[in-house]
Amino acid sequence: MRATVLAALAVLALAACGPARRGPAFGAPRQFTEQEQEGRVLFMRHCNQCHPGGAGGLGPSINNKPLPALAMRTQIRQGVGAMPAFTDEMLNDTQVDAIVAYLNELQEEKD
Amino acid sequence: MRILPSARPLLAACALLLLPGCFHLFAGGGGGSTDFKPPRRVDPADVAVPEGYRVEVVATGLSYPTGVAFDDNGTPHVTESGYSYGEDFAQSRLVRVEPDGRLTEVAKGEHPPWTGVTWHQGAFYVAEGGVQGGGRIVRITPDGRTTPLVSNLPSLGDHHTNGPAVGPDGALYFSVGTATNSGVVGPDNASLGWLKRNPAFHDVPCRDITLAGVNYPSDNALAPNTARVQTGAFVPFGTETKPGQVIKGAMPCGGAVFRLVPGSTAPELVAWGFRNPFGLAFAPNGRLYVTENGHDVRGSRPLFGAADYLWEVEQGAWYGFPDFAGGKPVDQEWFKVPGGEVPKRVLQQPPGTPPQPVAVFGVHSSSNRLDFSRGPDFGHVGEAFVAQFGDQSPDTGETMAPVGYKVVRVDVSNGVIEDFVANKDKGSGGPASRLGKAGLERPIDARFDPSGKALYIVDFGVMLVKAKGVIIPFEKTGVLWRITRAAPEAKP
Repeated sequence: MRATVLAALAVLALAACGPARRGPAFGAPRQFTEQEQEGRVLFMRHCNQCHPGGAGGLGPSINNKPLPALAMRTQIRQGVGAMPAFTDEMLNDTQVDAIVAYLNELQEEKD
Repeated sequence: MRILPSARPLLAACALLLLPGCFHLFAGGGGGSTDFKPPRRVDPADVAVPEGYRVEVVATGLSYPTGVAFDDNGTPHVTESGYSYGEDFAQSRLVRVEPDGRLTEVAKGEHPPWTGVTWHQGAFYVAEGGVQGGGRIVRITPDGRTTPLVSNLPSLGDHHTNGPAVGPDGALYFSVGTATNSGVVGPDNASLGWLKRNPAFHDVPCRDITLAGVNYPSDNALAPNTARVQTGAFVPFGTETKPGQVIKGAMPCGGAVFRLVPGSTAPELVAWGFRNPFGLAFAPNGRLYVTENGHDVRGSRPLFGAADYLWEVEQGAWYGFPDFAGGKPVDQEWFKVPGGEVPKRVLQQPPGTPPQPVAVFGVHSSSNRLDFSRGPDFGHVGEAFVAQFGDQSPDTGETMAPVGYKVVRVDVSNGVIEDFVANKDKGSGGPASRLGKAGLERPIDARFDPSGKALYIVDFGVMLVKAKGVIIPFEKTGVLWRITRAAPEAKP
């Protein structure tokens, strides 16, 4: 059991500390679903300062992490390292889901 | 799940990264921490713009350029600062950019840094930053005659007199930044140079404020190898404050936006409580927008994670300095330096409720001068185009990757920010000097020409940040770029 927890933590740690990548490549404008667009607006208000455009900045790049949605939600709710936790009062579950949907869209390369 | 015994120490080490966070391990990725040997190479082929747009070089060899404005003929004129961080003083100038890219001096002057310029009814109006001599707003005719309109603005510290911009009311709007990073004069201000020139200087509030009596210890930068000193907010270095102490408001003050109506030399307060309101621009709907450079991780009262912000300016509002950043109070985990303590508020009562920002830019992006698109031929009408100078890590605080070094556009209706002009790169981006390419270095102004068809980008040039307090700028490396929309291909 301990080994499983350890492995999960290690994966999270590596995911948090991966190499930085710039924002979406210049190219055809992306089309967002309604949920992704809501997540995009929320991302800009709550996440963009440390991960501008999803790329690295104060924090690591998060547009190149093939993390499952559950891990992203956990990271947002619990915080990681210097990243603070987002409470229910700051973002409700629907809003977190929207941000995760937006991040998943960002991870798709579009040139 | 079975883990090999030999892998367990590695997994444990990785897991431990979660406890202090990986920030300390992976920081040091700022864009200015590189090497550079002049001359600067310049090539539009290294600059990425959205499909359908093209980028050109208009002029090179500028020394610390900061702003661009256009006369009635559409001829671009550029301010050369005369100063750069690193305490490098040069000549402040206004230069005309000839069609072949040659630079012709129109006027020169004192009170560096010259931080920006605008054109209005037959004359240029220049913001003289005033790290020496205090800030001024001057009027310069095309033949170079210079007349000060406002003088002795409190700009002797970290941040300067900025702007100007002409409002739909015909008044001249400008701003004055704060003296310090977060309200307390500290040893960081000695390394920036000004504390030794002006030992009694400090932040000046626009209205009466009541202090909480919070003081910060530091080495005595004015008398090395002596006892440590305590310094409070809004007072000179080495001066303590008490709970309930009132600091009288004064005009002109710091961290504020002012307006100057035609014919007057007495600035009127528009809004206050900004840290460094650097860029001012009016949207097509006549509303004033301001970019603010957020707090740094430096000095006696460092703040972590404070972004740069875009504000819509409300008459009479207080925007939060030094106890709020982006509308959030600073006494919370969000602004705690890793390994440090949660910051304390220095004001007993905030003098207002800060508004919420329109947009939130990357921490340390140094989001500076801006303009709004008005031309359907260019596109994105009503959106703000913001020049991002780029991080000054580690001097302002560590980052994990370069931040800024590009021009972004902002949909002010929802705060969504998109890259518009940046260096071509598969990695983290950054200035051309770091990438080994010939594209953008440090964009500081983005301004549309009178036709609205061309976006001009003022690129300050190469400024390295080798360590805390070690900033190395390079004269004659500034560039003026132009972005236009390519004509659509004719369909058969």
